[in-house]
Amino acid sequence: MSALPIWRQRSLAAIGLALALGGTAALLSAQAYQLLPRPRPLEELAYYPSGQHLRPATLGHAETAADLAWLRAVQYYGEHRITDNRFERMEHVFDILTTLAPHFVPAYVFGGFALAQEGRDFPAAERLMLKGIEDNPRSGTLCFELGFLYFVRPGGRDLPKAAQYFEIASHQPDSPPQARRFAAYARQNSGDLVVSYELWLQVYRSTQNRFLRESAARELRRITQAMQTGRDDVARHHLGVPQVLLLPQ
Amino acid sequence: MTALLIARNTFREARRDRMLVAALWAGGVLLAATQLLSPLALGEGLKLTIDVGLSGISFIGLTLILLVGTSMVAKEIDKRTIYNLLARPVARRSYLVGKWAGLAATLWVTAIAMGAGLVLLLVVRGHVEHLAPIAQGVYFAGLELSVVTAIAVMFSAVSTPVLSALYTIGLFLAGQWSYDLRAFADKFPPAIAAVCHLTASLVPNLPLFNIRTLAASAQLASFDHVAMATIYAVVYCSAALCLATAALETRDLK
Amino acid sequence: MITDEHGSAPDARAPGTPAGAAVSARGLTKHYRHPWTLKLTRGLTDLNLEVGRGEVFGYLGPNGAGKTTTIKLLIGLLRPTSGEAWLLGKPIGSEASRRRIGFLPEQPYFYDSLTGREYLEFAAQLSGLGGQEASTRARHWLGRVGLGERPRLALRKYSKGMLQRIGLAAALIHDPELVILDEPMSGLDPFGRRDVRELILEQRDRGTTVLFSSHILPDVEMLCDRVGVVLGGKLVRTATVNELVASQQQRVEVRCVGAPLIEVPARWRGRIERVELPEGTTFVLADEREVNDVLAWLLANGATLRAVTPQRASLEDFFLSVAESEGQSRRMA
Repeated sequence: MSALPIWRQRSLAAIGLALALGGTAALLSAQAYQLLPRPRPLEELAYYPSGQHLRPATLGHAETAADLAWLRAVQYYGEHRITDNRFERMEHVFDILTTLAPHFVPAYVFGGFALAQEGRDFPAAERLMLKGIEDNPRSGTLCFELGFLYFVRPGGRDLPKAAQYFEIASHQPDSPPQARRFAAYARQNSGDLVVSYELWLQVYRSTQNRFLRESAARELRRITQAMQTGRDDVARHHLGVPQVLLLPQ
Repeated sequence: MTALLIARNTFREARRDRMLVAALWAGGVLLAATQLLSPLALGEGLKLTIDVGLSGISFIGLTLILLVGTSMVAKEIDKRTIYNLLARPVARRSYLVGKWAGLAATLWVTAIAMGAGLVLLLVVRGHVEHLAPIAQGVYFAGLELSVVTAIAVMFSAVSTPVLSALYTIGLFLAGQWSYDLRAFADKFPPAIAAVCHLTASLVPNLPLFNIRTLAASAQLASFDHVAMATIYAVVYCSAALCLATAALETRDLK
Repeated sequence: MITDEHGSAPDARAPGTPAGAAVSARGLTKHYRHPWTLKLTRGLTDLNLEVGRGEVFGYLGPNGAGKTTTIKLLIGLLRPTSGEAWLLGKPIGSEASRRRIGFLPEQPYFYDSLTGREYLEFAAQLSGLGGQEASTRARHWLGRVGLGERPRLALRKYSKGMLQRIGLAAALIHDPELVILDEPMSGLDPFGRRDVRELILEQRDRGTTVLFSSHILPDVEMLCDRVGVVLGGKLVRTATVNELVASQQQRVEVRCVGAPLIEVPARWRGRIERVELPEGTTFVLADEREVNDVLAWLLANGATLRAVTPQRASLEDFFLSVAESEGQSRRMA
């Protein structure tokens, strides 16, 4: 060490000290994370009445802000899912997210399901999905997912609305292929046999899937029989109380 | 002793610099803006005022650091004003400590001035139960700014003003996300998780200094929290300044 | 160990040892390597130098020769590639080596927002003076360099000459034992240069060692006890001014009329320069020892002498001849 020039000695000593202090800081940091309460940044947004007031503050970078909000929303969901299962701010969180990024379809889908299932707040889920459809009227995905939410609504399905949205979805460019079948099924079980028959007929004619064609044919026969005999109950299937579990991915 | 002289001179320069005055004006405008926005906050105007007030201290402080701190050492080397100091019996480490202390003192004064403005506003509105938490919030903001200043001085000693500003911003953001990094780490395989945790431990733990939520709810951080934050700030600043010293000791000042 | 005739060890402050000399350098070298191309640039090579206490030492060289590099190495602003040096017996790079020295860089820059007085006080305090003492000296030196009438003027409003003067004041405010000045006269008007010369002479009278670099040779000739010449990063000569000038041959100028048609004999070709002017002919002899022979030849050929004038060799002549010979030896090497 003494053969080195004085400044090099000092430099090495400073590096050594920095390593020791850095190690100490790292340990303190890990300890703090474990032991001390952590800040909840999402709650800082809670007092904004809606995402509309937040939009101007992003200075044209609303999409980037939405990406950050998306990360936070996912984290918010995950954190509360594994701790207290309380999602009091969730509607607000997703409202902000979807206001910043109104065409971000996955945000509506995730938010809708999280609100309906974990949040047990179907009306909030419904509001979010309807907002999404209003901002994205050609989205078959959103219509289909809303239809699905109506179909599995805890406490009682809303089959007419489910069918309505399945049908709308089936006419959109990005319609899921099963939209028409679901629409037919919902109509059938809500007693709307005429519309249901038309829907099944479209499925029968358009599908390439042999099993689906057979399934459609079977439903067409049932409906025909029900209409001929005047007994709607023949056409309907018994649907139990919906208990849909959204498994974590 | 020489570090103290340099700190005093740095503080004097900053005082005479228009940027400090501009920062204080910006703080005043921000507080005034909170009063305009409060009616829109559906009864949460007080929380909004405190949140924005304390966030403003951090934001304005960070702006000052980026405008002044990141170029401090680099500019002195470029302009050769550093000769005035290092041609005298002043150790390079004393120079760095003095520069850091001077700028940190400036930021503390700014934070205290803005905190005082916030307290005055709340007293006028009749909310005295928040005064101690706000004072604590100002203290934590001062600690946070001291840490970021040390980082800025460190980068300024090794790089150009522009690059050191970018590096400082980068490390600041990484620090703000350190808790998220730890949370995400557990989703990865053990080896990657370990790297994530190590990275999160090395970047500055800035969420540690964020007690704005508590302050807005008129709650005080625990003694453990205050002690931990203070010790951490001292240790981290020291580490950053040691690295800066190591770099500057071997650097040629052309 | 070398002892004197009484068997005692030499005084540690005796010239020749690092402790004795004001400035001492051994093998001091500074090379730069480009970080990308790794190309090596030689800034200073193997400098061996001693400047005795109380001397005024001039450090000469053209631009880019290595004068500023040497000075910055001594001050500790640059880190040497190899070699050692001491200032007042203390190794360079240590704070102790800078405790009793004053330094003025080539183009001093200051903290714009400070006033002249604040800057001098700050400089004095950094050099170890207490607050009251620093304040007193700042006032004194501000007046001494002619800036005392406006102590509250901010440095950003100073002219170049004023900045140079306040820089000098800052270099001298703490009564250093060694003053190092890098091109102190550069950019100054004749009054400014005179002021700087007076300050340097004043310091010499006080026993302060002065090392200054310059390429203005008349100033060096006037002020220095010894000079060193640096070329291409190497110290090529050191000697007293008189020794250097005396080593140059004296030239003689002979003016005459009536010699337009006289041929210069072959034996003198290359050693006598002939200049024809309307008022007569001038012969410039490179070597004063030939003047008698030349005068005899001219008189024998019918010329009428008008004047015989010895030309005192200047430092400039010496410098140019050294530079030329170094250039030649490099070409031959």
